[in-house]
This record gives sequence, C-alpha cells and structure tokens, in this order.
Amino acid sequence: MRVYFRYAFKETFSNLWRNRMMTIAAVLCVAVSLSLVGSALLLKQSAAQASVLWQQGTRVTVWMLPTASTSEISSVRSQLSSSPIVKNCVFYTQAQDLAEAKKLLPTNEWSVLTVASMPTSFRCTPTVPSDAFVVQNTYQHQPGIYQVTTPGSQIREMNKVIRVLQIVFLALAAVLLLSASVLILNTIRMAIFARRREVSVMKLVGATNWFIRIPFITEGFIQGLLGAVVAVLAVTALHTWYPLHNEFQLNTSALIGTNAVVLIVGVVIGSVGSAIAIRRFLDV
Amino acid sequence: MIRFENVSKTYKNGTPALKDISLDIEKGEFVFLVGASGSGKTTFLRLLLREEHPDKGRILEAGRDIGDLPKWRVPYLRRNIGCVFQDFRLLPNKSVFENVAFALEVIGRPRSTVESQVPQILELVGLTDKSKNLPHELSGGEQQRVAVARAFVNRPLILLADEPTGNLDPSNSESIMALLERINRTGTTVVMATHDKALVDRMRRRVVELDRGEMIRDQVRGVYGIDEGVSI
Repeated sequence: MRVYFRYAFKETFSNLWRNRMMTIAAVLCVAVSLSLVGSALLLKQSAAQASVLWQQGTRVTVWMLPTASTSEISSVRSQLSSSPIVKNCVFYTQAQDLAEAKKLLPTNEWSVLTVASMPTSFRCTPTVPSDAFVVQNTYQHQPGIYQVTTPGSQIREMNKVIRVLQIVFLALAAVLLLSASVLILNTIRMAIFARRREVSVMKLVGATNWFIRIPFITEGFIQGLLGAVVAVLAVTALHTWYPLHNEFQLNTSALIGTNAVVLIVGVVIGSVGSAIAIRRFLDV
Repeated sequence: MIRFENVSKTYKNGTPALKDISLDIEKGEFVFLVGASGSGKTTFLRLLLREEHPDKGRILEAGRDIGDLPKWRVPYLRRNIGCVFQDFRLLPNKSVFENVAFALEVIGRPRSTVESQVPQILELVGLTDKSKNLPHELSGGEQQRVAVARAFVNRPLILLADEPTGNLDPSNSESIMALLERINRTGTTVVMATHDKALVDRMRRRVVELDRGEMIRDQVRGVYGIDEGVSI
C-alpha cells in the first residue's frame, strides 16, 4: 500500500510537471469559473440577508387625505394603536410632511406645495415584517385615507435585479466550468498519450486497472482542487476587502459555506474530467 | 499447463486466425510455434494473455478456463505469464535496473523485494555491470536480455516469446536461446513463436506448426520444416 502511494504521488506530480502549460490553463479556467460561482452565491446570500433586514425595518405609511376630518384621523389613529399586527405608529402633521418633502424633492417641485395641500400621515411599524401588506390591504379603502404605501415593491424590484445578475453569473460560470472540464480532460488525455509505453508495459506485467488509472484521476483531481483553492482565495478577498454596506456584509459561516461549495465543485469537475478521459482514451 | 480445446478465432474483418486448434502443453515444456507470417502464431499468444477471446472452444491455463475469469482478474492472470517481444518494448527513459524493477513495482511488490530480486535476475541474464545504463546504450541482444529479465523477474509459470530473436544477429540469438533454455530448466513453460529455422532445427524441441490458422504439425522433437528435416 505504502509503495503504491509513493508511486501514485510520484506519477501524478511528474505528469502535472510535464504538462505544466496545460495544467496552468486548466487550473486558471477552473479558478475563474469557480470565482464567479462563489461570487454569485455570496451575492445571493447578501441580497437575501439585506432584504430580511430591510423588511424588519419596514415602515407602512398611511397617507390621509389632505381633506380628512379630525374625526376620521382620530378613528384611524385608534384603530392602528389597537391593532395587534401594528407595533407602533408615529403621527406626522402636515407641516412635518412638508418639511420631509422639502428634503426629498427638488426645489421647483416642493416650491408649489403648501401646508394646506399636504396630507397628514401615520408612519407605522408592523409587528411582523410580512404583515406590511396586510396592514396595507386593511386600511387602503377606509374613509379619509388617500393611500397606504410599503417599501415592499422597491425590495421586490431590487431582488429582481439581483436575480438577473445571479443568473448571468451562474450561466457564465456554467460555460466556463464546462470549458474547464474539457481542458482537464484534454490534459489527462495528453498525459495518457505521453505515457502510453509505460501503460502498455504495465498491462503486460499485470498491473491492475486501478493501479494504472489512479495517477491520472488524481492528476485531474489536483487540477480541480488547485483551481478551487485560487477561487476560494478570490472569494474570501472579495468578502473581506470589498466595502459593502453593513446590511450586505455576511458573517464568516456564510463565507465558509460558500467556499465549501466552491471546493467541492472544483474537485468534482477535476475528477469527472479525468474519469471521462480515462474511459475514452485509456484502454485498460 | 496450457490446454486448447477446439479453439477458433476469426477477426472482425473476416480473416480466420485460428481454426479448431486443440493441444496440450505440459508444465516445463519448451514449445516452438512456427509458420509463415499470418499463420496465427501471434493470435495464439494473444489468446493466452486474454488480449483476445476465442470465438469457439476454451483455453485452460493451470487447470482454469481463462474465459471464465472476470475482467478484473485478468491482470493477476498476466502476472503468471512473462512476455518477450521482437521489439523489446523497454522504457527508453529508465535504466536497465529501473526497467526490470518497474515490472515488480507496478504489481505492488515492496522495495525490499525489488532490491533483492532485480540484481539476482540481472546476474542471471549477465547484465549486472550494465544495470545503470539506458536501453539505447545497449546492443540489441543486451536489450532483449533486459526484456527477458523483466519478463522473468516475477517468476511466472509461463514465458511467451514472440519472435524474440527476430531483430538479432545469430550470436545474440544464441545467447537469448541459451537464456530461454535456462529459464525453461527452472520449470517454466516456454512458448516461443519464431521464424528462425536454424535455431529450431538445432534445439530439437517440440514444434507446433500453423498454416493459415490450422495446426498442420505437432512434433515432439521437431525441426522447422518436415521435408528439410528429413534430409541429412
């Protein structure tokens, strides 16, 4: 057994060294494609985390009609404060809303606004983020209420953009991974060709099929692994140094999970590439 | 040791290679396989190695039907059969010692076995002082002796030789034959396919002659061709 390990180790590394240009090409291809896979996974997790955080801070804004009567306002106020799905509400007067509009809108737009034209509003936090829509539906059509808005639509919009980005990343990564496995397949094929004399002598003297195959399998395995290690470094660097807003910043366990996926995919790509090469080109 | 029972083999392109061959080779025998090119000698040897399957009949080695062997057992069958070829088939980038050692290493023999067996076998073939040379630094005869050493280092029960003297001059052929005889005397069964008339005539061993796939002669102490053998 020990003899065999030494033999397989020696064979694998001499093969890798002999084909070093092809090996570098294959490793880089694996690295680039897996970096894309890793980044896509990180992006997805960041986005999911950020949208949860945003939803927790979700504010439902109940806009009253500017013409709403005091009794309508106080009825809405008492309903909101007694509702179990609303945690708390802050009332904004017409003056406060105008001040906010001045901050948000360009001068030429807010300058036409007057205190009298402004609605009053309740800024509410639902007890459970996903209840924002329930609050919206409940109060939408009550007397004196102009409109109930939630930031949900913006979050959905952002998630859509992120999903498209993610699909583009993964599609690119899939194409690159395919070419990476073809490159690995090709390096193994060249290694088999370079060692065809040895292989024929080995068969002649009765080396078992797996004895002949394993050095080639480990060669592909190592190429996949090396590419994956480079990708792990790239993903970790991206995670560590790329300045992201706090809400996007993932914790270490998410990073470790992503890197584990990257490593496994790399190793699988390498082994599958060499296994196919062996089936097709190594006649044992 | 080797038994052919009504063995026939036809290649895919339709050429019949062997037709209904039956024969027995005892343990420790020395058999010449003679016949023109294409008479089926090489097919005969390839069948013994299970590089080919017979279409009909069965082949027994050491009492076992080798057609029954599962594929993964074939390497173990080959460990009991040494092989020598006309073109030596040495590894050009390995020294004499390494070429012989390779045969033991790839079947998982420990280093201690390699270190004791290889010098012993190199001594037998008379190449102790060339053990560090590369094959291209040796003469044809010496290269063939390395090939014989590699075939025999694992002490196989059977040694197959496919025209081992085909590329050698008469004196080198002599030394290879002497070597095969010595190996035969240790109890190893030797089957040698050859065109070398002088050699066969002088050795007076069992001769099996094939002609277009048919066995036309099996003589215990034969010569290369019958008509020539009769003349004095």
